[in-house]
Amino acid sequence: MAKLTLREWLARMESNGRFMENVRAVKRLPAAQGRFADFPDWVHPRLRQVLDKRGIRKLYSHQVEAIDLVRQGRNVVLVTPTASGKTLCYNLPVLQQILVEPETRALYLFPTKALAQDQMHEIHSLIGELGADIKTYTYDGDTPDDARQAIRKQGHVVVTNPDMLHAGILPHHTKWQKLFTNLKYVVIDELHVYRGVFGSHLTNVMRRLMRVCQFYGAQPVFICCSATVANPQEHAQRLLERPMELIATSGAPAAAKTFMLFNPPIVNRELGIRQSALTPARKLATDLIANAIQTIVFTTSRLNVEVLTKYLKDQFTRGKPLDTKFVTGYRGGYLPHLRRQIEAGLRNRNVMGVVSTNALELGIDIGDLEACIMVGYPGSVASTWQQAGRAGRRMGQSFAILIARSSPMDQFIVEHPDYFFSRSPEHCRVNPDNLLILLHHLKSAAFELPFEKGEHFGRENIEELLDYLAEKGVLHRVADRWHWAAESYPADEISLRSVNPENVVVVDTSETGQHKVIAEVDWDGAFTTVHTDAIYMVESQQYHVDQLDLERKKAYVRKVDVDYYTDAMTYTHVRVIDGFDQKKQRDTIVEHGEVQVVRKVVGYKKIKFYTLENLGFGDVNLPEKDMHTTSYWFTIPKDLLTQLSYSQAEIIDGLAGLGYSLHHLAAMLLMADLHDLDRAIGDKSGEWFVRHGPKARIITASPAGANDPSAGQTLTMVDAFDPTLFIFDAYPGGIGFSELLYQEHARLLSSAQQLIGHCSCTHGCPTCVGPTLEVGLSAKEVALSIIALIL
Amino acid sequence: MSVIKRLQRLTGESTRQTEKPDRSEEIAALRKRIDAVMARRQEVRASALSQSGRLSPSLTDVIPGEVCANSAGVCFIQESPVDASAWHGHRRIRDFAGVSMEAASFLANNASLAGYRLEEGLFLDTETTGLAGGTGTMAFLIGLGWFDRERFIVRQIFARDFTEERAALIHLAQIAGDRRFLVSFNGKTFDVGLLSTRYIMNRLPCPLTDLPHLDLLYPARRLIAHRLENCRLSTIEAQILGLIRRNDVPGADIPQRYFDWLRGGDARLLQDVFTHNRLDIISLAALMGHLAALTQCRQETAHADAHDLLAVARLYAERQRTGQAQHLLSSLVQSREPALRKASRKMLSLLCKRTGHWHDAVDMWQEMIRDDPDDRFALIELAKWYEHRAQDHATALILVGRVLRQEGGCITAVEREALMHRRQRLQRRQADKNSDK
Repeated sequence: MAKLTLREWLARMESNGRFMENVRAVKRLPAAQGRFADFPDWVHPRLRQVLDKRGIRKLYSHQVEAIDLVRQGRNVVLVTPTASGKTLCYNLPVLQQILVEPETRALYLFPTKALAQDQMHEIHSLIGELGADIKTYTYDGDTPDDARQAIRKQGHVVVTNPDMLHAGILPHHTKWQKLFTNLKYVVIDELHVYRGVFGSHLTNVMRRLMRVCQFYGAQPVFICCSATVANPQEHAQRLLERPMELIATSGAPAAAKTFMLFNPPIVNRELGIRQSALTPARKLATDLIANAIQTIVFTTSRLNVEVLTKYLKDQFTRGKPLDTKFVTGYRGGYLPHLRRQIEAGLRNRNVMGVVSTNALELGIDIGDLEACIMVGYPGSVASTWQQAGRAGRRMGQSFAILIARSSPMDQFIVEHPDYFFSRSPEHCRVNPDNLLILLHHLKSAAFELPFEKGEHFGRENIEELLDYLAEKGVLHRVADRWHWAAESYPADEISLRSVNPENVVVVDTSETGQHKVIAEVDWDGAFTTVHTDAIYMVESQQYHVDQLDLERKKAYVRKVDVDYYTDAMTYTHVRVIDGFDQKKQRDTIVEHGEVQVVRKVVGYKKIKFYTLENLGFGDVNLPEKDMHTTSYWFTIPKDLLTQLSYSQAEIIDGLAGLGYSLHHLAAMLLMADLHDLDRAIGDKSGEWFVRHGPKARIITASPAGANDPSAGQTLTMVDAFDPTLFIFDAYPGGIGFSELLYQEHARLLSSAQQLIGHCSCTHGCPTCVGPTLEVGLSAKEVALSIIALIL
Repeated sequence: MSVIKRLQRLTGESTRQTEKPDRSEEIAALRKRIDAVMARRQEVRASALSQSGRLSPSLTDVIPGEVCANSAGVCFIQESPVDASAWHGHRRIRDFAGVSMEAASFLANNASLAGYRLEEGLFLDTETTGLAGGTGTMAFLIGLGWFDRERFIVRQIFARDFTEERAALIHLAQIAGDRRFLVSFNGKTFDVGLLSTRYIMNRLPCPLTDLPHLDLLYPARRLIAHRLENCRLSTIEAQILGLIRRNDVPGADIPQRYFDWLRGGDARLLQDVFTHNRLDIISLAALMGHLAALTQCRQETAHADAHDLLAVARLYAERQRTGQAQHLLSSLVQSREPALRKASRKMLSLLCKRTGHWHDAVDMWQEMIRDDPDDRFALIELAKWYEHRAQDHATALILVGRVLRQEGGCITAVEREALMHRRQRLQRRQADKNSDK
């Protein structure tokens, strides 16, 4: 059979009715002509020569704009698509300056090691062609000790990651004297990755970097790149705390692209269950690759990479040696040389199909692919465009398709193409002055250089905090200076990426004397997944938790084979401490502010596999967790709700369903992980709250009554209950999400209305208001009525 | 709301109570704290006035030293000479005062040292606020020592708080300016690195980085560590120098003592730290004397283990000082201890081989085989000699065969393979020769 070109293949698909009936949107993005500009006069002739040899005779308009601004000493943030030549926007000014002034130093920060390696190769080859004595090194956890000294002294360009800067470079800045004294440029790529907790840490690391630079008299220029988000300039300025120039218009040409949103067919209307996204992905990938159309498939988990790779290999390697890389997987955890091999294979078309996690989403050079299949929404519009950008870089035609899973985010995206295709709605938020994060970095900063009275570090009054640290015995104040006065190395106390450095280790004790660690669970997760008597599952093997030892941070488990799993019952109790802002939306009061959250796991349910029957309950005796954080909430007057012709229990179910969909939509808007936020229903005073009882949702009085999960008391008190729905930051002290959610209240509600209203299920499903088993049969209907009342 | 209150709520330090704490309770608690602070103040004042030092003695009451001023301010100096006749472990100070600079230069593997006088050396050891390294660790006590004819002078520079560090560093720079080389124990990795960080932090040029440096850790590892459980200075003191410290403050406690002192603690906390550091400095001189004497095989190395001398010989051999190595080994091969005799012969025979003294080498291998017919090393070396030098393949084959027949499996696979290879080659050559005939 003759092979089709992509154009022919697309034409065939678009005439295939069975395929097209599940396609929710087809967007044709026309090819864009490049806009070019001449090299500025000041560009060094040797650089011109090298670029000329590579066929670069003119620059894209945005490149000229960027390098001119950088030359003027302005800080720049570039928001341009994949493959628009953004690396040249920083490599050119940096190399130029080093050629003119060989003492010049530059620091490049990438969020991952793989990306750092890749950029190293890029700049290395430029330098090689320049024939100049310019040294670039990566400096990360893998750098051998004997190489480190040379890097510190001689590296013109040091390529590293924020974690290494935080724990390995800044606390040893005297060894890097040469770098800091001559630091002219700081390059930060993938700026949008630094949001939430990670971003809040990064701002503090930058504050520390600037203190150290100031000590050595350096004033570097920042050159940053970001994916398309709603607030790139604001985010960059908040992150780096300095004015930033925004360059958002790309001058690079782009291939014509056909972009489809695909929703797999429903297989069980009752439960709202759709065909697995992997099925159409496998069929499409097979067909594309069979037509010699080079294809990349993105999945959202490492497991799915392996599953899909196996399917495709089975398809293509029949009768061929097994080690062929014709189709292959790619993910973190593959050894570096294997990854390099695959990357090269993609460039020279020996690899025709690759299944990857988002590891290939960022700027690693894999050449021009033609088709991109995304199995599941990658979590943000920005990531989706980055992944789609992997296909069709400069020439011809390309194809990208997003295949939705059943989750609310996925469904919302494919069912609302406008949300996706119009201007990016996603905001990056950080809260660098979160007191806990700030405090950690104050310690590290004091370790690096003593604090002087009157010095600034963020917006808080740090003098109070410094005195607090002095009282705690880690700083010593003398003559208006605070000195580090402890034996420890404070940068080791915190990791920039994890919320809570404490993990619980799961130990398998099935074989006496052969205990082995089978998993790690984060501290918060441990309370619900490995409490004593829980059934914990790893790769479908069941383990019974014999004991959760919080003190030693260990859960002891043994292998079992039972026909049920466990589901922890928790209560969450939110009390408002301080309202920052308040507004009215019809009759509801919308607020954001500081709250106290108390959470306790009170028991668990045993649920039978497949039938989902409830087999019984058990008690769990774990301490309460108390957290202060920031939240957005709104209160619906009960008089308003009594207008609805539903029972109290139904109204509570409806609110729970609304909470479920708002939680998911809020995470989407914030590019946050679902676990970065949490929700609760209660009342503002904190006297009443709703929790999930063994039979149904109940309203109960404060925690004391919650010890007995079967007691469905206090329903009579409901008269006094003005229900309030809280969506809060799941990080102590808050991470800056609440204010945006408060501002976007109306948009959130109308999104929820669309999501729930357009959902094809009958009573509610995981796509809209949550599984009916949890929220009851009327939740979907009631939730929509409530929205109608308050929007 | 104050930052601290918010912070305490986040860290869960404040009481869980949701009600506001009773105001009167709060005030009472505050009173108590103020009272406590006032009481402490009076105590401090009282102790400053009282000469007895019963309450909390001042620094000078406990440590005889003085405040020293320079362009950057003040710091505290204690100088305490050690008499030539004073004992330090097994030996007297004057015993170390005659160290040959030739030997010192060998220990440091730095020829420039040979051109200096011992009095130009600066012995250095610091006490720091931690071992973590990095910019947040400070050397609060800089112990220095130097020879003044037969006496040994110890001078300790102490920063009574962080503000005195700069003056302390300048004081060190002044002293180092008159010196030509450094002597330390692990100073290359630790003390000098840390001090140069402190100089950078104070925007001062570091006077130490360019000085030739005899770091005794390295020669100690090479020459004496083979019979110690570790190579710490305290172990060397106890096992080699014969110094028993009484009531010594453990090194791990030292940072906390300083922090306690900073926070208004007792000066007596520091007394032990000064003593500890002073002994460290004197031990540097003693260890240098001991190691130098070892390398010269002087008579007073009665405490030296013959195996130490073997280590010295090995070091000589490595540094291409063949004559000295041979000289030392020729007396060691007379040893009555079989293991030592064997090891020395082995080393000496290899030196003879390297220098082309084949005759001596062959004699020694034959002696070794007489002593121990299974001596693999000697058998193989002799086989090589017969093969390549004497061209006597038959004898070489016999020798190789003797090794290969050895029981016990102590030959490694690699060794065995090499031997098999050698045997095959010998057999081939012999066959060739036979066929030539």
